[in-house]
Amino acid sequence: MMTEEEFLKLAKLCRISCTPEEKTALLKSLTQVLGYVAELNTCDTGSLPTCNTVLENPRTIVRDDTPGDVLSRDLFLANAPAHTGGMVRVPPVLKGEQ
Amino acid sequence: MYQLSATAVRDLFFKGELLAETIAEATLKRIAHCDQKTGAFLSLFSERMMDKAKKLDAKRKAGKPLGKLAAVPVALKDNIHVFGELTTCGSHFLSNYRAVFDATVTRLLEEEDALIVGKTNLDEFAMGSSTEHSAFQLTKNPWNLACSPGGSSGGSAAAVAARLTPLAFGSDTGGSIRQPAALTGITGFKPTYGRVSRFGLVAFGSSLDQIGPLSHHVADAALAMEVIGKHCLYDATSLSLPSEPFVQKLTLPLKGMKIGVPWNFLTQLDTSAKAHFEGSLKVFKDLGCTLVEVDLGALKYAISVYYILATAEASTNLARFDGIRYGNRSKRAATLDEIYDFSREEGFGSEVKRRIMLGTYVLSAGYQDAYYKKAQQVRTLIIERFKAAFKSCQLIATPTSPTSAFEIGKIQNPVEMYLQDIYTIPANLAGLPAISIPSGFCPQGKPLGLHLTGPQLHDAEVLRAAYHFEQTAGFHQKIPPLFNHG
Repeated sequence: MMTEEEFLKLAKLCRISCTPEEKTALLKSLTQVLGYVAELNTCDTGSLPTCNTVLENPRTIVRDDTPGDVLSRDLFLANAPAHTGGMVRVPPVLKGEQ
Repeated sequence: MYQLSATAVRDLFFKGELLAETIAEATLKRIAHCDQKTGAFLSLFSERMMDKAKKLDAKRKAGKPLGKLAAVPVALKDNIHVFGELTTCGSHFLSNYRAVFDATVTRLLEEEDALIVGKTNLDEFAMGSSTEHSAFQLTKNPWNLACSPGGSSGGSAAAVAARLTPLAFGSDTGGSIRQPAALTGITGFKPTYGRVSRFGLVAFGSSLDQIGPLSHHVADAALAMEVIGKHCLYDATSLSLPSEPFVQKLTLPLKGMKIGVPWNFLTQLDTSAKAHFEGSLKVFKDLGCTLVEVDLGALKYAISVYYILATAEASTNLARFDGIRYGNRSKRAATLDEIYDFSREEGFGSEVKRRIMLGTYVLSAGYQDAYYKKAQQVRTLIIERFKAAFKSCQLIATPTSPTSAFEIGKIQNPVEMYLQDIYTIPANLAGLPAISIPSGFCPQGKPLGLHLTGPQLHDAEVLRAAYHFEQTAGFHQKIPPLFNHG
């Protein structure tokens, strides 16, 4: 059972604030899911390695370091919730900023 | 025209018996007439499609070479980017987001002259098995409007099942192409991991996600794979392989193929579902295949492994939605912290929040070894068990879904919903190609699917076996009565 304290810590880590109704429902369902996945404790994995990729012949892939088309500033800013002077606008981060 | 396969539409266009403009007009007219009932589409690219159709007609008239999907109307799940168009991912967070580039799949479809009709509904960020978690609308199963079409590619599945388009594309992280295909009586194919570029697909579980086709006919899925199954420089997991002649390989004989049946993984099947599955297996026997029993008991852990790994990856992937650079920014937010917290609170639905929280939990200090590391070890075990099974067979058969389509709103317990994907998730965990094909109907008249899984890079064999099954069983020709009219 996930405690309310654990839930609040988790919500903070996730940057998700919840309404009281949401909190009750999420706490209940997270407890259900964590209860279910606990079945993995019954699986003997011994010294099996962890799976880092499903690709059978993984390679390190790095593109050639050549200049190409990049996203234009205007196109990028068209999706920004707020912008000014060609930059994304956010509320002041430090006290006294405008 | 709505009854035609993608290949047939293309061929009629090639011959000049159908104009691209006529195809585009008829498609839009049918969607306008029928989609109120099923709710498959979130957006339509009417003007863009008509312009492209006119250009294609001119191209054909001028005798220029035409693409493999020339004049074929296709729909895209709304988590695949089309430059300049909305990509909402079924989320309030991205309700106004316009893609700033084409997904590789979009580019390849455009290059092969497909007509992109619009975007289809999905569970928010592809997280769900019913399409009920879309922030915008419900999609209904064309076979029974009270039922879900499955998910998360429920919009693409409903569009194809209702014959609004002959071909659509979805993404499959744990069964999101194959389960809705089964529940709506169509074909859905998840390629080998890395066979299709994920560039321009909004990421959910990056080690599991794969784009694939949904169609009435297996041959159309094979044709689509010839178009999208290409190497891409912008996806580090894209396999550097040439395209394969999937269509040509469909008709190679099936006789002698060994089909594995993991009975020790199918112990939960009820009597009726088991009898139906055995009927499907008999089709393969009649085609000259041999059935062999394989041990895949370890797959019973697949759901747990998946819901640890997929949520861990999702919590990381969705951290980018912070309300700063794009997407929803809360109007209540006065500080930087409030932008993060309130924008995510308002922008995400309950299933997405649940998965982000679960993923963050299993990755957090103190729990990582018990959950994430353990799940990665069991994933290795599952991969090894598949490899052992494929030593005695070429493909593995199971049902696609434990049930037929369920009523909208009926499943409230998340674990019960997650179990919908019990037979489809293993292929994602091991990166294997897998398909769902229509195998008939349950006693209530709702479609059921047969699921075939192959070893990595044996996509062509999976498609070939599905094709022979389809041609013998014939269920791909069944059209939902509510939509079987011009």
